[in-house]
Amino acid sequence: MSTREVYTDRLQAGVLLLPTMLVSLLFLYYPTVRAVGLSFYRASLARSDVFVGLENYRRLAGSGEYLRSVLISVLFATCVVVGVMAVALCVSFLIHEIEVGKGLYLVAVIWPYALPPAVAGLVFLFIAHPNIGIFTSYIEALGVDVNWFSNGPQAFVVVLIAAVWKQIGYNVIFMTAALGNIPDSLTETAELDGVSRTQRLLRVYVPIISPTLVFLVIMNTIYGFFGTFAMVDLMTKGGPAGATNILIYDLYRTAFQFYEFGFASAKSVVLFIAVGLLMYGQFRLSDRYAYYGG
Amino acid sequence: MLGSLLTALTAAVERSQAAGRTTSERIRRFETEQLTLHVLAATVVFLIVLPVLIAALVSTKRAGIVTSIGDLVPGGHALSNYRRALIGLEFWRFMLNSFVMSVAVVVGKLIVSLLAALVIVYYRFPYKNAVFLFILFTLLLPVPVRFVPLYRLTTELGMGNTFFAITVPYLASATTVFILRQHFLSIPASLVETAKVDGVGPLRFLWSVLVPMSRAVLVGVSVIMFVYTWNQYLWPLVIINAENLQVAQVGLNLLRGQASTGEVAWSMVMTGSILTLLPPLALLMLFRRQLLETFTIQQK
Repeated sequence: MSTREVYTDRLQAGVLLLPTMLVSLLFLYYPTVRAVGLSFYRASLARSDVFVGLENYRRLAGSGEYLRSVLISVLFATCVVVGVMAVALCVSFLIHEIEVGKGLYLVAVIWPYALPPAVAGLVFLFIAHPNIGIFTSYIEALGVDVNWFSNGPQAFVVVLIAAVWKQIGYNVIFMTAALGNIPDSLTETAELDGVSRTQRLLRVYVPIISPTLVFLVIMNTIYGFFGTFAMVDLMTKGGPAGATNILIYDLYRTAFQFYEFGFASAKSVVLFIAVGLLMYGQFRLSDRYAYYGG
Repeated sequence: MLGSLLTALTAAVERSQAAGRTTSERIRRFETEQLTLHVLAATVVFLIVLPVLIAALVSTKRAGIVTSIGDLVPGGHALSNYRRALIGLEFWRFMLNSFVMSVAVVVGKLIVSLLAALVIVYYRFPYKNAVFLFILFTLLLPVPVRFVPLYRLTTELGMGNTFFAITVPYLASATTVFILRQHFLSIPASLVETAKVDGVGPLRFLWSVLVPMSRAVLVGVSVIMFVYTWNQYLWPLVIINAENLQVAQVGLNLLRGQASTGEVAWSMVMTGSILTLLPPLALLMLFRRQLLETFTIQQK
């Protein structure tokens, strides 16, 4: 690597780096630092900011509504990660095992990567609509009363399905690539040893592609926390009765419905720390358990 | 002796027949297995495409109320629906805004990130690792954790409700710099050494050596950036109030509101959804090879 570093003009280097550094500093780091600062103030649109110390954090700690939002977010993100990865692993394995026409199936399955979350939300709002949804009458024939505009758990499940659907493509892209890198000799050995297909997937392939799976757990977690905002906004507005009020939606409402910028900043800081810790934890876990070869 | 020869011969024939049978059996078993896999895969594809298929069908109907599978026949209003959405409801404006925003971010990010990656791979200067970490760390600062202060900052700069607000804050990209860096590191070092000896400056080297050698990756990251920008929802929702500056994702929200109050038919909402899906979908289909190649770099 060091042999590539042939240019040494520091001024030039600085100038070329300037755009990235400036934008990062001004629009990424500065707002984050300012969120921390603002979280110690009572700030709104009209009045000037008032320093209140830790009051916003005390309010958060004592808020049952916020605690509920935390629990719902964690539950939702967990369901998204598990759901997406289970479905995507089956689909990727299926495509991997097919001899002819792999490429076609792959495109037909990865396209939701390009699907806008807002579109995913609207399409599901429409096809699962309690009154005019195309599947509603069939599901009700099975004895389920479709009323997710007022039934919390149902709303949670409908948003979850939309969220999983949108994320399948992204996961299959990485999983099929990882499965494609597994040497054929290994598959042949497993087959000669009489290992069944399912066993081959779970005992041989999953351990080998575990670094990819860890990477996807991290990406899907972030998606579960943040990427699903548009779906919640378009499908349930966090309701009914807070059943889909994930943290990012709760934060949005605090800031842009109630205009409590100080309180919202405290929520941003908590969210930032939580996601940071989560990613750190998953990296540590992957160091210990994932197989990186060699 | 003749008898033993005969038994040996028949044994050999039987053996070869048996072998033949197992081979053809194995082939047959392989074929049925493959057939089952194809049926399964086709079912999966159908299920994944189904919601969008329904949306596309509904976008060709007048009212767009489909309450049973029997209603799933194409209507004759495709042309009038898309014309009404684009022109009558001015969805073309949202699409155009999204398009301009996405192209501006893709081009801007590409230039800015190419320069940063060039410095990080081909320059020697102090605190280089710290600079690289400084860029990578921004991965932990997605829009959702900073949009509240970013909103304040942007409005204080007098940039609320402007094109500036939905493009410039997106220009720094840890992901793009990282992908380009990984790719540059896979290009032989001898190239830059020769360039240096021949007196080729860094920008010339970037433009006439690195860029031509990175075509697939540049196309791949461009698709990734386009999809990412086109699909942005939260930030345009809070920072843009003027309807004539709004993007397609939030335009859909406005359509939904109108459908809920009965001002427009649901078929209009589905028409808008299909319109919003088409540009990123088309790019994915066209450049899937480059996209998949780029994703394998990202993970390293």
